[in-house]
Amino acid sequence: MTDMPDEKDNDLLAAEYALGLISDDQIEAARAMLRDDPAFARQVTAWEMRLADLGETLEPVQPSPAVKRELIARILPGTQHAGIWQRLALWRGAAVLAVLALVAVLIFPVSLPDPVPTDDGPLYSAEIVSAEGDFRVVAVVDTDRDEVLMTLTEGAAPEGRILQVWAHGPGEPAESVGLWPDGNSVRLPMPENIRRVSGVLTLGVSEEPPGGSPTGSPSGRVFGTVDIPGVRVDG
Amino acid sequence: MSSHEELEDLLARAGLGDRDAFIGLYDATSAKLLAVCLRVLKNRSSAEDAMQDAYVKIWNNADRYAVTGHSPMTWLITIARNTAIDRLRARRRTEPLDTHSERIAADTATPEQSAIAGSEARRVMACLDELEEDRGAAIRGAYLDGKTYKDLAEQFDVPLNTMRTWLRRGLIALRECMSR
Repeated sequence: MTDMPDEKDNDLLAAEYALGLISDDQIEAARAMLRDDPAFARQVTAWEMRLADLGETLEPVQPSPAVKRELIARILPGTQHAGIWQRLALWRGAAVLAVLALVAVLIFPVSLPDPVPTDDGPLYSAEIVSAEGDFRVVAVVDTDRDEVLMTLTEGAAPEGRILQVWAHGPGEPAESVGLWPDGNSVRLPMPENIRRVSGVLTLGVSEEPPGGSPTGSPSGRVFGTVDIPGVRVDG
Repeated sequence: MSSHEELEDLLARAGLGDRDAFIGLYDATSAKLLAVCLRVLKNRSSAEDAMQDAYVKIWNNADRYAVTGHSPMTWLITIARNTAIDRLRARRRTEPLDTHSERIAADTATPEQSAIAGSEARRVMACLDELEEDRGAAIRGAYLDGKTYKDLAEQFDVPLNTMRTWLRRGLIALRECMSR
C-alpha cells in the first residue's frame, strides 16, 4: 500500500472515517484534515453517500408521536434563552400522564435565570390537549414581546375550516387573539386586553370558518383550553 | 417518500430557521431515520432518543447542509447513524463522531459529479454482494450496526490486523465496483 498515491491512501482513511472505524488516538488528526482539506472532505462525503444507501434499504419504522412533540419543544423559538428548553424537556413522560388525566394542564412558568438581562419578561409554556387526545398544541406566552406562539403537534382543523386562538383573564369572556389559517405554527401579538391580564391567563383553540368566528366568540369545536397561573404584567 | 427536490427545499428552508419546513422534513424522513437508529441500538426507546437528538443536530446544522456536498437523504442518514453510534459507544468512546458542524466545504462537485455519486450510491448493495461474503458482512456490520474493528475481529474470530486488512481490501473492491 506504500506505493499508492496519497489520494488513494486518504480515500481509505476517508472510508474508515465515514464508517467510524478510526481509533480514538487517530481521530483528532482525521478531524483536522476534515477541517482543512476540501479534497479529503469530499472523499469522506463520497463514502458517506455510498454507504448511506445501506440505511435506505432498511424497513421504515414510525416513531411514536411523543418524539415529535418533544422535538418541537426543543427547537421552539427562544432557544437563545439557554436552559429554558431543557427544563421543558421535563414533560417527557409527563405528557403521557397528562393524556390520561384528560384535562391536561402541563404548565411550566419559567422565570429567566439571573444572568439574563432583566428587561426580558418571563416565558410561560403550556400544552393544550383535547379531551379525546386527537389535538395538541404547545403554546408559549412571551410577556417580553407580548406574543403568543403556538405549534401544532397533533391534529388539524377539519377540511375547509381554520384554527382560531382565544384568550381571557379570570372571569372574563374569551377574546380572539388571532386566526391560524394554516401552517404548523403561528406567532400572534397579544391584544391589549390580554396583555393586561394578571393572574390566571386562559388560552384556547377552536376550529372556525375561514375568516374566523362570525360571532366574536368561539363558534366551532373548542379543542381545549389551558390555564396559565401566575402571569405577571410587565412594569 | 418525498422526492430529492422536495427534501432539498425543506432542508434549505429549515436552514433559514423555518420550523414548518423542518417539521415537514421530520414527517417525510423520521421513519427512515428511526429504522437506522433502531438497527444500531436494537432498542426502541434508545433509538427514539437518538433520533430526536439527531433531528436537533439537523435543525442546528441545516444551514451547513449544502457545503457538505451530500444529497439530502444521505446527509440525514449519516447524522442519524453517527448519533446512534455515539450513543452505542457512549461507555467506551469519549470522542463523538462527526456531525458536519466543523467540516470544511467539500470540493465543489459539478452537477455531473453529483449525478455520478448518486448513481454510485444505488449500486452499493449490488457491489457488496459481489465481495467475498465475510468482507461484505464486515462492511455492513461496521456501517449498520456500528461495529468496531475489535467487534468485527471477535465476530469473525480473526486477529485484529487481519480484520483491518480484510475490511480495507473490501472497501477498495467496493469503490472499484461502484465506479465501474
